[in-house]
Amino acid sequence: MFRALYTAASGMVAQQLNLDNVANNLANSSTTGFHSRRLQFADLIYQNLIMPGAAATAQTTVASGLQVGLGTRAGASEVMQTQGDFSSTGNPLDVAIQGQGFFQVKLTNGEIAYTRAGTFQLDSQGNLVTADGNPIQPAIAIPSNTTAITIGQDGTVSVTQPGQTAAQQVGSIQLALFPNPGGLNSMGNNLFLATTASGDPILGTPGGAEGLGTLQQGVLEQSNVNVVAEFIQMILAQRSYESNSRVVKAADEMLKDLNGLTQ
Amino acid sequence: MDSGYYAACTAMMTQSQALELVANNLANSSTSGFRAQHSVFQSLLASSSGAPMSPLNEAANQYGILQGTRVDVTQGPLEQTGNPLDLAIEGPGFFVVQTPTGRLLTRNGNFHVAHGQLVASDGNPVMGENGVVQIVGVPVSIAPDGTVSVNGAVAGKLKLAEIKPGTPLESAGATYYSAPQSAEIADTHSTIRQGTLESSNVNTVSATVELITIQRQYDLMRRAMSIFDAQFNKTATEDLPRVS
Repeated sequence: MFRALYTAASGMVAQQLNLDNVANNLANSSTTGFHSRRLQFADLIYQNLIMPGAAATAQTTVASGLQVGLGTRAGASEVMQTQGDFSSTGNPLDVAIQGQGFFQVKLTNGEIAYTRAGTFQLDSQGNLVTADGNPIQPAIAIPSNTTAITIGQDGTVSVTQPGQTAAQQVGSIQLALFPNPGGLNSMGNNLFLATTASGDPILGTPGGAEGLGTLQQGVLEQSNVNVVAEFIQMILAQRSYESNSRVVKAADEMLKDLNGLTQ
Repeated sequence: MDSGYYAACTAMMTQSQALELVANNLANSSTSGFRAQHSVFQSLLASSSGAPMSPLNEAANQYGILQGTRVDVTQGPLEQTGNPLDLAIEGPGFFVVQTPTGRLLTRNGNFHVAHGQLVASDGNPVMGENGVVQIVGVPVSIAPDGTVSVNGAVAGKLKLAEIKPGTPLESAGATYYSAPQSAEIADTHSTIRQGTLESSNVNTVSATVELITIQRQYDLMRRAMSIFDAQFNKTATEDLPRVS
């Protein structure tokens, strides 16, 4: 009976975490390049009160054992890899990836982080940087007297300068691809870090055979949060929490009954 | 004497075990690939000797006990996730996963790639028809028959095992199940859906009804015990000695 109390409590804790996750996804439903997370649950260990296959008599065995499970736990929160919607902004430094690749960003501590948010800007030296001011990797510098910037589908960045008719290539954007993007470590600010679970990044130019995807200039990738699915998840979490609390109540009342026996 | 008293006591113990099963089912109502456990009750004739009993004696000594648990193998609802490595099985089959403790079966197709291998959510390799499925590169597409192709080239075929009908499944935790390997047969009835996960097959309506039944039955047995205690024992210990 006390097992039932703890089992139900594990279900309530798991659903609370589920709701926390839904809240974060919904809060980021307008964050450019945000990838939603989905919580995965797993059942806990089982107590074998009667072992399946144990001898029932000298000749026969128990057909099905008596196994009592001890509840649930949140196993993992996996990054959803679906493509977010595209919105056209017309800003020449807004770039979206149509495919599975990530932009590389150099952090102030020298580490490389990865992002899908292509809201780039120029810093005081004309370097292409993210909204937080971190330069993209490999670094691309735009000359100061540029009149137009063109980013090709294959990542080629070219500029047009006054008095010149031909565009001049100033660099090329490289993308990184992970064998298991679900295992990336979210560090906030739309940035991800590579982990042993995600694997080492495969670098390449966009549009190649690796499946990195192509770039679209003047377009941004919106959050991939599916608001309808999140609401469904929220209802499920709430109802499941409720049914687990019913078990707690039932166990409590049964224990009360039991105590009432010894008057 | 008072075997009815013990019958009621046994029933209370049985119902509290049944509550533990319902609690576990409800706690796992969001666990992908989870199979509900149902309780199997049995009547037990309590007799110390093999001597034949009178019908009245037999009726008073039939105790209800929890004999075992049965894993519910009905299909759970399918949930779209869009992740290419989320796989759901439509049909009776199971994925085969090689864990440190041996081969185990699962319906939880929340797979990943680690070190170039297809692995289950806890990192154990998923078995194909010819050993572990190697996945190097993207995109990964998985056909309804389990054929895995990476970037257009066939990388292997997922192994699906079907369990002979009537074979009991043992829950191994972390949505793993085990069955004797002799009971496994090649699956021909199942199809795999990519980008989908199978939700838990716990039926919350019937679990809640079960919960109410357990609680009421427990209450009934408690009342029966009180009656034994208050009416019969009182007569025996307080009233009878006064008869002169």
